[in-house]
Parts: sequence; structure tokens; C-alpha cells
Amino acid sequence: MPDDSLRIIDVSVEFSGLRALDGVSLAVSPGEILGLIGPNGSGKTTLVNAITGQVPIASGRILRGTTDLTGNSPREVSLCGVARSFQVVRLFNNLTVTENIEAAALAHGDGRRASRDKARSLLAKFGLEARAEDMALGLSYGDKRRVEISRALAAEPKYLLLDEPAAGMNEAETAALLSILAELPRTNDLGLLIIDHDMSLIMRLCDRLHVLASGRTIAEGDKDSVRSNPLVIEAYLGTGAETAHA
Amino acid sequence: MARNLTTIAVLSGLILVMVVATNLLGVRLFDRLAINLCISLVLVLGLQVFMGNSGILSFAHIGFMGIGAYTTAVLTIPVRMKGMSLPDLYPIVAGIELSPYVAILVGGLTAAAVAAVVSYPLMRLSDAAAVITSFALLVVLHTVMTHWSEVTNGPRTLFGLPRATDLNLAAGTAILAIVAAVAFKESRAGLLLRSSRDDEVAAGAMGAHIPRLRWQAFILSALFAGIGGALWGHFITSFSPKAFFLKETFVILGMLVIGGASTVTGAVFGAIIVTVTFESLRALEAGINQAKIFSEQVIGLTEIVLALAMIVVLVLRPGGLFATQEIGALLWRRARKKEDR
Repeated sequence: MPDDSLRIIDVSVEFSGLRALDGVSLAVSPGEILGLIGPNGSGKTTLVNAITGQVPIASGRILRGTTDLTGNSPREVSLCGVARSFQVVRLFNNLTVTENIEAAALAHGDGRRASRDKARSLLAKFGLEARAEDMALGLSYGDKRRVEISRALAAEPKYLLLDEPAAGMNEAETAALLSILAELPRTNDLGLLIIDHDMSLIMRLCDRLHVLASGRTIAEGDKDSVRSNPLVIEAYLGTGAETAHA
Repeated sequence: MARNLTTIAVLSGLILVMVVATNLLGVRLFDRLAINLCISLVLVLGLQVFMGNSGILSFAHIGFMGIGAYTTAVLTIPVRMKGMSLPDLYPIVAGIELSPYVAILVGGLTAAAVAAVVSYPLMRLSDAAAVITSFALLVVLHTVMTHWSEVTNGPRTLFGLPRATDLNLAAGTAILAIVAAVAFKESRAGLLLRSSRDDEVAAGAMGAHIPRLRWQAFILSALFAGIGGALWGHFITSFSPKAFFLKETFVILGMLVIGGASTVTGAVFGAIIVTVTFESLRALEAGINQAKIFSEQVIGLTEIVLALAMIVVLVLRPGGLFATQEIGALLWRRARKKEDR
């Protein structure tokens, strides 16, 4: 079987001379969940933005299998099967919840009826049926997050990049989201990359972790080796503010 | 689906009621008012197709109305009159005399074709840049109309169009425009365009080709404008380029903004409210001037009231009277609430 993994090779990003990412490499395979962690400002969101073409990269390459995604527009990346959610929820506020999800299916190339059916089944999966005809603007924060993830899934991505999917959710909502996310790689055969500050969520969900600090990779590997890595403890887990947040 | 059909039925119903009432009354004044309203509807609905779905303010719309009007003029002014109306007209077209109904369609298609060519590079722009370039486009179109004497008779009044627009034609076209505007809004392109209106970044990340979607809407919008302009030409029968510039742009924008740009319902109600208010004010103005209540003539009452109405609506209801939901959706929601009780 050919290697279809999403590979980021030696990627750097600069904002007016400032290096936001400095030679970061990582790979996600279909069926696995990779946690991307690091202190605030370490470049996690920038990395997701670089993969999906929202920010230009200064050097390096981004590949899905043998397809080169380097320098592609967000639209092209999305059509190559890489979907994302945003750190600050970006819904289509004046569309209904159903329309939000339908739009993504339509953009992916589904027909009218197929899009509607897909929206309906995703709403059921995420427990949003009661909200189906509501405007996205009036939803609770937790519901908005769920709609955003449903919308990303409507494009049937092979890779899903979630930027703090559980932010703003209460414990019950987080637990419900966690059980759905844990299933996704298997049921949808996709690779999942998750950024989150909630360390218990990350530890329960992820197979592997990748740790960034100041735009550089400081550790990667399975959970236990990362957790005991002194660099990680110093840069991330050791700081009082971050553990308190987690 | 049922909601969209309800919206179409209610809005078309309003027009039909107006047509029937006007025919029963048989007053010439109301006839003129009703035809004017229907033509405004076609123009406002056209603007709604682009502006409402893309969220980008366009000033160029009335320019495409002018293209429609001049196209149909060149094609329909009787050959024996062309020597007077358009003395410098190119010989190739001088011998053409089409039926106004065909020419109205050609007028719409010409406006759409011009829009397709000139707007393509502009559709990547958003926000202020998009608004300013659309304004520049209006100025270009106006300047061409004012100086292309061969085709437009320059800044002078062009006369001689056959009078072909009656109430039935205008109302029929307005109803078609309502159906087309609702259908576009609910189409694949319409839904994706509305996504990009709400969040351009997320729509792009989802795979929507935003410039192409905007372009499609802009072309359809210009088709409406061209047809509206041609209808108007065959109603008024003589006009000059002045008719397709700032004053008209302001009125059409005012109708859409007051009604609510995001909805077809808003476009229709905005056109009705502004037209009726305008006519009443004009009558009032004429009455005041005739009765010589003030020593000076009262002029500009209509424009001032429209401007004030626009300000008041934007302050109180920034999205217009129908900001997000069509009348069909509102009625269904109300019906459901009653059932729940």
C-alpha cells in the first residue's frame, strides 16, 4: 500500500523577519491521532495555518502521499482532503446549522440531496438535531464547536486538523466530544491532528504527541516518553500557569 | 422547499394584487406608479442577487441598467427615426429594427456579457477595495455612455424608443425576478456564496471558489439590471445618460438597504415601501408648491426623506427590515409555534 500520510518536512514560517516556525517536521498517518502541544505562542496554530495554506511558508514542503501541497491555496488544500477547524470558531453565522454543514458538502462536490442527507446524519452524530434550523449565530459555544467539527467532516477529509476543539466546553460536553473524536480515525479512516491545552483530553485521546516551543520541535513520540522528557517538563508541563490551565 | 415556495407565493401575490387592483381602478396615475414599482423591483432584486449573497456593496449596478437601456434603444428605434435619434450610428446596426420583446432580452444578455468581461478581475477583492472599484466601474460605464455619441447620442436625450412596457410585462418580469432570486439564493452557488459572505476564511478553507461564485452572481445580477433598464427604456421612451448615475444608484441601494439586503423579501418590501413613499412625497411636494405655502419652491424632499430613512433603519436595524429570514421561513415558524401551544 502506498504511503498516504500527511508529511510536513522542515517547514519554516516567518512573519516580517520573525521566525514563527523553524524547521518543523512531522507526519500523521491515516487512522492515528497526533496531539500537537506546546506553550502559548509556540507555533501550533501557525503550523496548522501553514499546512492549510492560510499563511505562506518560507521554506520546507508539505505532502499528502505523493501530492505536493506546498504553496497551495486553502481551497486547494481542502479539495486534497485536508480539513480544519479554527481556534476562534468561524461559523457562517447567518446560515442555519444545517446550511453550515450542507455548504461544506456542496463545496466538496456533493449534490443537493446528498448534502442534505449528510448534514442530517452528522447532526444526529453530534447530537445537534434540535438545533438544525437555528441560525448558527445564536448557538452556545459548545454547540458552535460541534457544528464546526461536523462541517469539517462533511467534506469527508482524509486528514482533520482540529485547533482546540474542546475550548469553551463544559466537562460533560468535552467527554461526549472525546468519545466521538476517539472513534473518528477508525470509522472515517482519517488521520487526526489535535491542538489542545486540556492535557487530560490530549493524554486520553492521542497515540503520539508532538511538542513545539518557540517554533521548534522539542520532543516527539509516544505519550510516556514525551511526558517524561525533561525539555517538555521545563518548557510546558513545568510552568505553573499551563498546568493550572490543564 | 415549502418555505421557499411560500416566500415566492407571498411576494408574487403582492404584485398580482397590485396588478388586479390597478386594472380595477383604471387610473392612469396608478398604472404609471405600478409599472415604475415593478421595474424597480427587477433592479433591486438584481442587486440583491449579488450584494445580498456575497455581502459586497456594488455601486456598478445602475451602469448595467444603462447598458440594457441603450442596447434595446439601438435595436428598436424605428429605422426611419434613427437618422434623427442617432445620426452617427454605425451603418451595420442602423438597419436593425427588432421587436422590443426580443431586444429587451438582448439588452439583458449584453449587460451580462459586459459584466462577465469587466468584473472578473474585481471579484478577488473584498471590503472597501471591492466597493471603491465598483464605484470606479460605475464612473467608467457612465463616462462611456456620455461620450459614445454614435450609440448613445452622447449626453443628449435619446428619443424614439417604441413604448412596449405595459403593466403585465413589467409585473411578469418582476415575478420572474423574484423566482430567480430565490432560486439562486437556495442554489449550490447561492449557499456557498452566502457562506463566504459570513466568513470568507472559513469558506475558502472549506473549498469554496469564492471569486468564481461572486462572478456568477455578478453576471446574473447584471442580467437583471440590463433587463430592468431595457424595460424602463420602453416605458419612458426617451432618456439620457444622467438617468443611470448617482441618483438612481442611491435610490436602488436605499430600497435594498432599507428592506434588508440579505433577503429577497427585504428587496421586495424595500422597493415597495420606498416607491410608495417617494410617490406620496412627490405629490405632497407638488401640493405644497401649488398652494404656495412657502415663498420658495420646495424641492428635494424625496431624496432627503430617503436618506433619513436609510440612516434611521441602519441605526435601528442594521440588517434592514428583513435581515436574515425570508417571509416564508417567518410564516412557517409562526405556524409551528401555534401548533406547539
